[in-house]
Amino acid sequence: MSMIDLAFIIQRPPYKSESSTLGLTHAISYQVVDMFLDEGQGVVPKVCFIGEGVLNCLSGQKAMEHYGVTSIEAHIKNALLVDLDIFVCKEDLERFSIGEDRLVDAEDMGADKKLQVVPLSQIQSIINNCKHLFVF
Amino acid sequence: MRLGIFISDYKGLTDTVDRLSAEKLGFIFVQNGVYHTTVKENGKSSSLLDRNANFYVLEEDLAMRGLTGADVDSRVKVVNYGDVVDLIFNDYEKLVWL
Amino acid sequence: MGTLTIAPFSSLVGSKSMDFALKLAKAAADKGHKVNIWLTSNGVMIVKSNQKHLKDYSHAEKYVKELLDKGVEICVCEACALARGIQKSEAIEGIKWDAMHWYLAKIYNSDRVLHIGGE
Repeated sequence: MSMIDLAFIIQRPPYKSESSTLGLTHAISYQVVDMFLDEGQGVVPKVCFIGEGVLNCLSGQKAMEHYGVTSIEAHIKNALLVDLDIFVCKEDLERFSIGEDRLVDAEDMGADKKLQVVPLSQIQSIINNCKHLFVF
Repeated sequence: MRLGIFISDYKGLTDTVDRLSAEKLGFIFVQNGVYHTTVKENGKSSSLLDRNANFYVLEEDLAMRGLTGADVDSRVKVVNYGDVVDLIFNDYEKLVWL
Repeated sequence: MGTLTIAPFSSLVGSKSMDFALKLAKAAADKGHKVNIWLTSNGVMIVKSNQKHLKDYSHAEKYVKELLDKGVEICVCEACALARGIQKSEAIEGIKWDAMHWYLAKIYNSDRVLHIGGE
């Protein structure tokens, strides 16, 4: 069994660019990566929102209603549904005065996972321990 | 961890840079990032150059902007694409593009 | 020799990040390294054939063909391309069409990955 950790760091705010969406969709695609790999091989994405990227995590996004595109909130929920670990930087949430009650939750869709608000030091550990990292 | 950070712009990147740490850190300045190695804004060099790291700047991107190695801060080594490939494989195991 | 996977997300015109990615890929391939390129987001624009080389704009077709000839594997995100109106029938021959898990699988087998986000 050989799995590798990949760190997806989302540091841009939502919607002006495609960046945050692509970070999430690339991470979610881990589900079918074994089509191209040998038995026992796989990747474990860990998604981390830092800096202005934490602004992606606000609930109540109405992107479909106003722009006809899937919201980043929906992508985050899908990521939680497929059991991805998603971390949000505590210091950055505090910096932008965002309470944890404002964050996306996929409980209504039956997800077991929740966004994990963690100190920056924990995200730095994830970066240190992953094999490759990607900044979106 | 040996982390190589490509700096491709002159402004607006320090927020993320501040959140990255590594035992061995290298900055590779490309595109408009090269100005970190040449501009002294209000007489002061880029604060990135004060970090405990190795610094490299891409010669082709300097030349494109009318700059040469003579314009570059003495802490920075001027490199070409082939050198960047060697840095990637020999010096830094993880890479970030900002 | 190692394996390098590069993923440029920027468009060819309006940014120099794609030019950087292609030049870096060539330099790595010339040194004998295995190189993979994943094209997604606006990066998919470079797969179109019959690009006209106007001097005010970056030009990729010639470089893409050279890289393919050198054995560089290039794959485009099919959904990103179709969303931009690019059809497989008008793409440069030799480029693969697949989805994001192709990229993750290449990453799995790469020594180094340079992910060049879009603007």
